[in-house]
Amino acid sequence: MALTLLAEHIVKRYGGVVAVRDGSIELTSGTVVTLVGANGSGKSTLSKVITGVVAPNEGQLLLNGAPIQFSDPHAAKRQGITAVYQDLSLIPAMTVAENIWLTHEPRRAGFSVNRGEMRARTRELLALFEGTVSRKLTPDTLVDTLPPDERQIVEILKAISSNPRLVIFDEATASLDRTQVDRLFELIARWKREGMAIALITHRMDEIFRVADRVTVMRNGRTVGTVDIAETNEREILNMMIEGAASPEKLRMPPVDPDAPVRLEVRNLRAGLLKGVDLTLRDGELLGLGGLQGQGQTDLLLALFGAIPYTGEVILSGKPVHFQHPRHAMKHAVAFVPGDRASEGLLLSRSILENFLLPSWRRFGVLHRIKDARAAATKAASDLSLVYSTLDAPASSLSGGNAQKVVIGKWLLRDPKLLLLNDPTKGVDVGAKAEFYALLRDLAAQGTAILFYSSDDDELLGLCNRVLVLQDGQVRDELAGERLTRANLVAASMGTTDEPR
Amino acid sequence: MNRAKVQHFLWRHTYIFSLLLLVVLLAVNYSLQDNLFELRVLNNSMRTLLPLILLAVGQAIVVIGGGIDLSVGTMVSMLVAMLVNLIDPESTTNEIVLSILAVCGAGILAGLLNGFAVAFLRLQPIVTTYATSFIFSGVALLLLPRPGGQIPTDLRRFYAQTPYGVPLSFYVIGALLLFWVVLRSTRYAQYLFATGSDSQAAYKTGIPVRLVRMSTYVWAGLFAGLAATALTLSTGSGQANIGDNMTLDSIVAVVLGGTSMSGGKGGIAGAIIGVMILRTIRNVIFFASVPTWSQTLVNALIIIAALAGPGLIALVRRVVKK
Repeated sequence: MALTLLAEHIVKRYGGVVAVRDGSIELTSGTVVTLVGANGSGKSTLSKVITGVVAPNEGQLLLNGAPIQFSDPHAAKRQGITAVYQDLSLIPAMTVAENIWLTHEPRRAGFSVNRGEMRARTRELLALFEGTVSRKLTPDTLVDTLPPDERQIVEILKAISSNPRLVIFDEATASLDRTQVDRLFELIARWKREGMAIALITHRMDEIFRVADRVTVMRNGRTVGTVDIAETNEREILNMMIEGAASPEKLRMPPVDPDAPVRLEVRNLRAGLLKGVDLTLRDGELLGLGGLQGQGQTDLLLALFGAIPYTGEVILSGKPVHFQHPRHAMKHAVAFVPGDRASEGLLLSRSILENFLLPSWRRFGVLHRIKDARAAATKAASDLSLVYSTLDAPASSLSGGNAQKVVIGKWLLRDPKLLLLNDPTKGVDVGAKAEFYALLRDLAAQGTAILFYSSDDDELLGLCNRVLVLQDGQVRDELAGERLTRANLVAASMGTTDEPR
Repeated sequence: MNRAKVQHFLWRHTYIFSLLLLVVLLAVNYSLQDNLFELRVLNNSMRTLLPLILLAVGQAIVVIGGGIDLSVGTMVSMLVAMLVNLIDPESTTNEIVLSILAVCGAGILAGLLNGFAVAFLRLQPIVTTYATSFIFSGVALLLLPRPGGQIPTDLRRFYAQTPYGVPLSFYVIGALLLFWVVLRSTRYAQYLFATGSDSQAAYKTGIPVRLVRMSTYVWAGLFAGLAATALTLSTGSGQANIGDNMTLDSIVAVVLGGTSMSGGKGGIAGAIIGVMILRTIRNVIFFASVPTWSQTLVNALIIIAALAGPGLIALVRRVVKK
């Protein structure tokens, strides 16, 4: 059954905030459309309108030419329309099989849930990603115990399990590693041939060109255009997205002055997934951590911040230290910027001011000198060129990129000497990324030592003086200068270098 | 692999630890009270326990669905008052059956009121059900201003019988467990656990979250009706505050049975075991000759310890790890 779903001039307001001003998109069986746009441009909201999660205030949906309204996600599902949600829709306390088949469980005589068949069919679905996931991922695994990439895969399989006619993948690749992304794109190509209508929301430029037939671009809640993939290029799409804003530079950074003082020295660090890591980081250096996801990069950062127990030597500013709690690390001018800003980096319902000052209230006295605090926060906000209404507005009112600035800004008030960044630009739009990069370069130029984990190769290539590629808890390769190329980065992360260190 | 299986089993059967606790407590109780397992004594204790068991089952369903019902106790009072008004010593079997059905129906209506307010008006469950508990309390007083009422002696005898040497209550518990096994195998149960665990995710998955949430209170109402029936058959008469104290006990029993207060985890077997644990603890306190005036305090301390249990274990684990 072929289908054409047309969203026309959709408007969606949340209270006074307009999330989508004029959203339009056409999705047809057997085609892949990527929906791109800066954060806050309304992509996710538009897709939620299509899948019935939210009802539009204005505009209409046409299914095969006939107007249709979805009262809830269930109604859309009945028409074969579903989504892989960015923030996932999994129940942590249920098993993989139970999650995948929730609301369309195979049943005996239309009554009791047939668990045997549910398991068997889950196994078939899991086979689609065979070889890219751990063996611990079985139908009976609790979702609660899965790492983010496997949760994402379960979410994808959940959407697919109902044999949908139309699927929207909202940032489905953000937490997947390279092999998993490759597999997903093979599957998407297959599903497309089988006649599925597919929409893909993504921030990764290369993905657009890998799978899409058409690109629909949104900006500030409006659909600004749809172009055939054959008739466009990266620059054009970028220009449509950011309206003339500077595109991220791709300059290779030179290695830092070898005489700069050593800020951090690590020897044989073991923690979590890490099996003995050595590294040296100098003042003013931007040291990147690369590799596939989940190779121990996050554990390295957490250990250095005293958030997880570790063994090995850590020498900070010439003195051996062993942090047992983030508080100790903070006292030594170490700052940590988490990857998941919504759950770890920000108090969303509290004010921007509070978020800025959370780690630094001590500086403003037992009875807070609130005027000084406000002045400091105002200065930080302007240093970061933060776009905000007032400092008293809740952090949730900020757009993604600006929220990320606050996550970093709150540590800058403490004047860190060592900055640990855990994949900070995940899900941040291109325009905001560029500003963020500039901020990091400024900090490095001022002498801050920065250890930067990123799942985005472009970032590592364009920003870092040096990159350590981790694989399986060890440093597989060190790339700097001439050797800092995409080919080497990919090769090292896949573990194919000739001379492992 | 094996460890994962054990974990999975424990996760699916949250009552295992409660069952162990119950066995230990029963052993202690038996050492203090050697006639504990005599049929007459056992039947007597089970008879007085059954109303709370039924009530705790309803409470467990609400808690699994992510809510809480503070009105079940006064709901029982109201329904007992209603039942003793409907039947008298001369009632025929037909009239009695119809009266019990009417009481269960009234319980369902009361549950609908709670469920509608919580699920559709989106009011806080704690506040809502605390407020409605006064409605039920008020109705109970209207129906039964003075303690009284009488039921046919045959009916009391029926409730006290022990077919094949097993107290009637055990047959009821068997029926409850069967009910749960059947319910657990339906799609509804998946919806119930999903809603209790993460209602946002459940909604996006296409689960009718509001209906599911409302239904849990309807179950609680139905089971309050059954509890009121059992209580009336057990005591033979009624008074307008007879069930008021059962609310806290029903919640404690649910927690003791391993059901998580944050929803989405647990079952009714645990709630049934929880009621028995509660009763056995009280027995032990009584037979251990704890002075009467400190029994309430000891009782309360044990309940607090039980509620704090999971949190305490986690805390100890964290400290030991360091």
